[in-house]
Amino acid sequence: MAKVIPRPDLGVWERLYIGEIVKGLMTTFGHAGKALTNPAHFPTLQYPEQQPDIPRDYRSRHRLMKRADGSPRCVACYMCSTACPARCINIVAEESPDKHIEKRPVRFEIDLLLCVFCGYCVEACPCDAIRMDTKQAILVGGDRASFVADKAKLMDWEPKDYPADDIQSQKAPGGTLNAKALEELRSGSDH
Amino acid sequence: MADLITINVDGKDVQVPPKIQLIEALRTYAKVDTPAFCYHPDLSVAGNCRVCLVEVAGPRGFAFGIACHMQTAPGLTVKTQISSDRVKWARRGVMESLLVNHPLDCPICDKAGECTLQENYMNSGRHESRLPDDAGKQYKGGADHRFTDAKGNDRGGKKIDLGPTILLDQERCIVCSRCVRFMSEVAKEPQLAIAGRGDHAYITTFPGKPLTHGYDLNVTDVCPVGALTGKHFRFQQRVWNLKSVESIDPSDAFGANITIEYNNGRVWRLMPRRNPAVNKSWIANSTRLLYQQLAVNRLTDARVAGVDADLDAGVQAAKAAIAAAKKVALVASGHGTVEDNAALLALKDALGDKSEVFSGSWLAVGKADGIALSGDPVANRAGLAVLGLADNLDQLAQRAGEFDALVVFNHDLWGADAAKAAKLEAIPARVVLAAWNDATVAKATVAVGIRAWAEVRGTMVNSQGRIQLMHACPVLPNPALEPAWQVLAGFAGAVWASEAQAFAAAQARAARLAGLSYRAIGPMGAVLPQPALAAAGA
Ligand code: SF4
Ligand code: SF4
Ligand code: SF4
Ligand code: FES
Repeated sequence: MAKVIPRPDLGVWERLYIGEIVKGLMTTFGHAGKALTNPAHFPTLQYPEQQPDIPRDYRSRHRLMKRADGSPRCVACYMCSTACPARCINIVAEESPDKHIEKRPVRFEIDLLLCVFCGYCVEACPCDAIRMDTKQAILVGGDRASFVADKAKLMDWEPKDYPADDIQSQKAPGGTLNAKALEELRSGSDH
Repeated sequence: MADLITINVDGKDVQVPPKIQLIEALRTYAKVDTPAFCYHPDLSVAGNCRVCLVEVAGPRGFAFGIACHMQTAPGLTVKTQISSDRVKWARRGVMESLLVNHPLDCPICDKAGECTLQENYMNSGRHESRLPDDAGKQYKGGADHRFTDAKGNDRGGKKIDLGPTILLDQERCIVCSRCVRFMSEVAKEPQLAIAGRGDHAYITTFPGKPLTHGYDLNVTDVCPVGALTGKHFRFQQRVWNLKSVESIDPSDAFGANITIEYNNGRVWRLMPRRNPAVNKSWIANSTRLLYQQLAVNRLTDARVAGVDADLDAGVQAAKAAIAAAKKVALVASGHGTVEDNAALLALKDALGDKSEVFSGSWLAVGKADGIALSGDPVANRAGLAVLGLADNLDQLAQRAGEFDALVVFNHDLWGADAAKAAKLEAIPARVVLAAWNDATVAKATVAVGIRAWAEVRGTMVNSQGRIQLMHACPVLPNPALEPAWQVLAGFAGAVWASEAQAFAAAQARAARLAGLSYRAIGPMGAVLPQPALAAAGA
């Protein structure tokens, strides 16, 4: 059903136009004045030297979560690639050396140029192996191939500023729970 | 067929044959989708899973009965899930018990997407669990294979190597006994057994004996869950991503019905296609693994005098060789379709007296195994007879000196009998159309690549005299490859628009094919009339 958006009813003053321009310019000069007196509150971002602050829950570039031993948590089930509306996830599976894990990805590629950043892959994953919380929303590359994120690229993100007690960081690489699990694994109490 | 009888399903009268399994009557005649795990139309009835239950009227009112075991009889009155909430309730209970100890493996299970447990659960299942969160599962498995997982749960056997072709996951098994019945009733070698009792029962082989049989991969099809999986397809693809076309076994004259499953430019597996009159639900392992050859050692271009050339150059060289020859020997092929051989006969007509057609094969014929192989490796041998071609290949070897050109397609003469084929080397120009780089291509003066069996549409006649249709899977090693009939028709100077035109050309030569069309043949094939009857009718 079409949604009808009514035109705003402009008064005489608004239709005169000149007053609205002056109002707009006042905002601009206001910011300029503030910047001159207090440069710390400069509202313009010096992009690209300065990067925007992207919230963690913003759907940004994907990452593959790791197990305590650093191997990908992904079991190559193809649920993400099945859910993906852009068909941009390409997985090749193989036998895992750990026979109780059984399956793992030998290749896992996301074509970020095709990706529509909908997050369906994250929703679909049965083992929380893929997340879109890397805060990398600005992707730069010289050719198409450089936008295909492979398994190594998807696993290289280090969540340095993840609070260790954040529920999201459980067993995230670098998180305290992860370190604990790794320790347990090494001491053999986990298996 | 015997006279139909009337049974009453959900208050409606339905005409069904007498003494067939009620589940078949419900599915086929009453069009009521009835779930089953242990019932398989080509195996004996075991009646152990109870999911097919319906309500049947008896002396004391309606009572539950299993539809797979009960047979149709006049006056039978049945209530299914459509009219009975009790049936739905009972089935939900059966499903709940089945799933209670089933691992939640679907994401890594190769059966997911074609799993009967998934399907039936979605249809009649209880979608919220009644178990407390901390209740552990009682996983099945033999003592040798039990282990404790990372969460401290006692687990059954996973990934047990049963033999050269098959892996078993004892946890996923729902103990329907289909695999056991297949091995003892169809393969006639009981190699699988159920050990243990109750919810500890699990599938196993006999101590120290592997599962190894020429048909053992069929147990992966009959298994309603992902307990038995074939090593050849393990983790290759998720099944819902596969597309499929219908075809027939090109390696044997029985013509077992199969589907070719493919995607992303590759064929991933061949599956049996049920045809009660031919192979039932079974195919031999050798048939199932044929797909592995489709991308290996293919002749994707042409070769002229031992030098690689493109397809056009090859076709031109072949045409020139045929035109220059004074006497041409054309060899029909039982590995090609009826259409291909009709094109060869069209080439014979175009060449007139200067050509002669030979037919037959030098491959040895074995014994039928009574399941899905006739033992005759020449798949379309009966099709050659239908086209009126006599088995006279030995004559060609004796009279090789008379000819100065040879045209062979889809027929590895040197591979079949190198000693006899050596006599053909007396023929100076040898034009070979082949899909693979075989021994005959090595002896060719001009070799032109053609499409292989999986890539063509056409018909073959099996050893029972049944004409069957194969469809083309659109996965080609070189998109420019043409089917043999197209190349041969080109040699004859004809342009045939499609397989249907090639089939019409075959019909013009063979009275037994009269009145047929691809539509009339259909997915199940059509039995050809006996030669005498066809002659009388013509
Ligand atoms: S975010 Fe959406 S489009 Fe991008 S990979 Fe995930 S499912 Fe596909
Ligand atoms: S859904 Fe998760 S586990 Fe499955 S393939 Fe995608 S990332 Fe891997
Ligand atoms: S392995 Fe499969 S076919 Fe055999 S009993 Fe178990 S579920 Fe049935
Ligand atoms: S299908 Fe009837 S009891 Fe299993």
